[in-house]
Amino acid sequence: MNNWFKSGSPWVWLSAGGVSISLISVIGLLWLIASRGLSYFWPADIYQFEMTDEQGINTTVIGEIYDRENIPTSQLVHLNLDLDTSVESIERLLIKTGNRELVSLDFRWILVPQISQQSLPEDLVLIERRTNGNFYGYIENIILDGRTVGLEKMPELVERVSEFQAEMEELQKVDIGAINYQIERTRLKERKHKLDETLTPELQLEFKNTVASLRADYEVLEHALMGLREKISRDQIVMRAMDGQKVTINFENILKINFNNQLTLFGKIKLFFSQIGSFISDDPREANTEGGVFPAIFGTVLMVLLMTVIVSPLGVVAAIYLHEYAGNNALTKLLRIAVINLAGVPSIVYGVFGLGFFVYMVGGSLDQLFYAETLPSPTFGTPGVMWSAITLAILTLPVVIVSTEEGLSRIPSAMRHGSLALGATKAETLWRIILPIASPAIMTGIILAIARAAGEVAPLMLVGVVKMAPNLPLDGNFPFLHLDRKFMHLGFHIYDVGFQSPNVEAARPLVYATALLLVSIIVALNMTAVSIRNRLREKYRMLEH
Amino acid sequence: MISVTPKNLSEHNVKLDLNNLSPEQVALEIRNLDLYYGNKQALQNISMSIPKGQVTAFIGPSGCGKSTLLRCINRMNDLVDTCKIEGQINLHGENIYDRHTDVAALRRKVGMVFQRPNPFPKSIYENVVYGLRITGENNRRVLDEAVENALRSAALWNEVKDRLHESALGLSGGQQQRLVIARAIAIKPEVLLLDEPTSALDPISTLTIEELINDLKKQFTVVIVTHNMQQAARVSDQTAFMYMGDLIEYSDTNTLFTTPLKKKTEDYITGRYG
Repeated sequence: MNNWFKSGSPWVWLSAGGVSISLISVIGLLWLIASRGLSYFWPADIYQFEMTDEQGINTTVIGEIYDRENIPTSQLVHLNLDLDTSVESIERLLIKTGNRELVSLDFRWILVPQISQQSLPEDLVLIERRTNGNFYGYIENIILDGRTVGLEKMPELVERVSEFQAEMEELQKVDIGAINYQIERTRLKERKHKLDETLTPELQLEFKNTVASLRADYEVLEHALMGLREKISRDQIVMRAMDGQKVTINFENILKINFNNQLTLFGKIKLFFSQIGSFISDDPREANTEGGVFPAIFGTVLMVLLMTVIVSPLGVVAAIYLHEYAGNNALTKLLRIAVINLAGVPSIVYGVFGLGFFVYMVGGSLDQLFYAETLPSPTFGTPGVMWSAITLAILTLPVVIVSTEEGLSRIPSAMRHGSLALGATKAETLWRIILPIASPAIMTGIILAIARAAGEVAPLMLVGVVKMAPNLPLDGNFPFLHLDRKFMHLGFHIYDVGFQSPNVEAARPLVYATALLLVSIIVALNMTAVSIRNRLREKYRMLEH
Repeated sequence: MISVTPKNLSEHNVKLDLNNLSPEQVALEIRNLDLYYGNKQALQNISMSIPKGQVTAFIGPSGCGKSTLLRCINRMNDLVDTCKIEGQINLHGENIYDRHTDVAALRRKVGMVFQRPNPFPKSIYENVVYGLRITGENNRRVLDEAVENALRSAALWNEVKDRLHESALGLSGGQQQRLVIARAIAIKPEVLLLDEPTSALDPISTLTIEELINDLKKQFTVVIVTHNMQQAARVSDQTAFMYMGDLIEYSDTNTLFTTPLKKKTEDYITGRYG
């Protein structure tokens, strides 16, 4: 036994155990969010249940099985149900029934013993809609251009509608958006001249004409939009819901029509990927409980990239000063300790600091100086993507400084001496020799900074993240990148969907799907940085002496 | 006693009188140099003249100050915070320790090669042109020519001419050291300082470098520090023996190794200590 301890194998076992526990937790975490998140996209079967309740009344329930659980019979006794009380528990199913215009809740629990018959009718349809969520039911008939037509016209109809929708989207978001933006800018220009007291009658007239012509363009576009709306509203679909009610749905409102029960495995896989695709590329709908998360992905990535652009030069320059120029004395040591401790400050504190200092002080002053014409509505004096990026840059600064310094101190002094002996000054040596060799270490710092920043939510809630941003921070209107805009963020989206949502059951799988996406994006960002670092490492690999 | 082939003497028929060199024969003049590391004195009142176009070797036991003296000549000791220097080193009659000296310009005139080969992690080509790029030379033709000349002078051209743009770190130790020499001579210094240039190399590479040193003195004044007395005897024209921060004896190599004047020198070169 004693020898066994001396041999060191207990420590090997212990460390191997540590590694396996970490590995298991990572894999377990990924598996959980991946399985829960991805199952959301898998096209579910649509069941039709014939139910007989305790009074002998028959009802039909149509929907997807969302969840199942066992509940103790004792909990159901007070409902006076006609149940076999000898069994300890009975199973109940959570059915997603949709049809929000008919019933206020999308979900409904049914007890398995009350099911008299269950089937998977092939012609059951799931309609995904812009508003009011999913609709489950049977197609009664189709109204194309105001005339009732047969079901065989369906593909033609779907194509026609998606064309109209794309056209409307383009009109609304791009063309009309641009005109609105220009009108607003013209108004601001005029106001600026007024404030500067340089507004001449000629200018005033010019502005007036500009606005008038823009408004005329707007009228034309709006007319076109109305025309499209009018056209599209002549296409309708009449559905029969589970209780026999007939419901007319405008095609304008329809996103997708799926016969889930007719799908083959291949068809299901295809639909699965197309659902993932639209989750990634669509805007959210219905208070974020439906639709995609594209703005959140975009906001997250843009904010992290901006943060990287800010933190990298700042951190590197600070590390160079600390390591190369600052004297090796008590003050430098104190500074270094302070920098390291900065990494331990809770992130919400940075959020408070960012709000107080950047947003209100710096942003407020910027508004006074450069954006006086828009006041009292603030431009930079309000949370926005730039302040978020700067706040997170401050938050991740210590990481970059520490790893850059580490990298600088690992460079053999022979390199510096070699360069200095060739007549290079210290600055030239730094620029041409030291920084390239230290670049892998700098990249390591940036990787750690990205990893930390992409997962940070708390400070962002104070300095720029919102539940729903009407516009992306990047668009086709000059100056294209709007750093003053608020943005959406996947981390905050998870919180919002999971805990602030009016529709908890519907939101739950979205939480997992969004979490999976956030993890994937952070991994992707990190992998990019890691591969850059590995290439640099290969390039500046030092010979082992 | 170490036998010395008198090849140096055959080349220079007139033996230089080191105490009475004419100004045009002098490359460097060290005058009353004291050097302190903190409170500890590392060099004591060193005075010597290093003749132009010749190889001067510094020998002595470890810690005698020979490398320190060498590093004074291109002011590499400036990098040591606690180092304090008194006295003068004159290059062209100007004290390099003058307050107005441009250290970078001085180092371009006085090149240096270190104990261990220290090529930069760049291509062979970029290593050689490094000093030229620092001076702002970016003309491709000038650089190409300089690379070829420097590598030829360093006896490396034939080995690397087909892979100039590969990493210098792929070269062997001896090749790296010659590359570093090529890098130093590419900027055409007047004086080349070699700090134990072969101590990290195998015997064959050492031999190549020693032959190279012999060629180099046609173009440059070479000052070499070595702990290897045979090497000093083989490559140098003048030898200075140092001990505990003092310059004990300085004369032409042949004299120093055959008929040393001082007892300490004799003890050292006969291997009684060191």
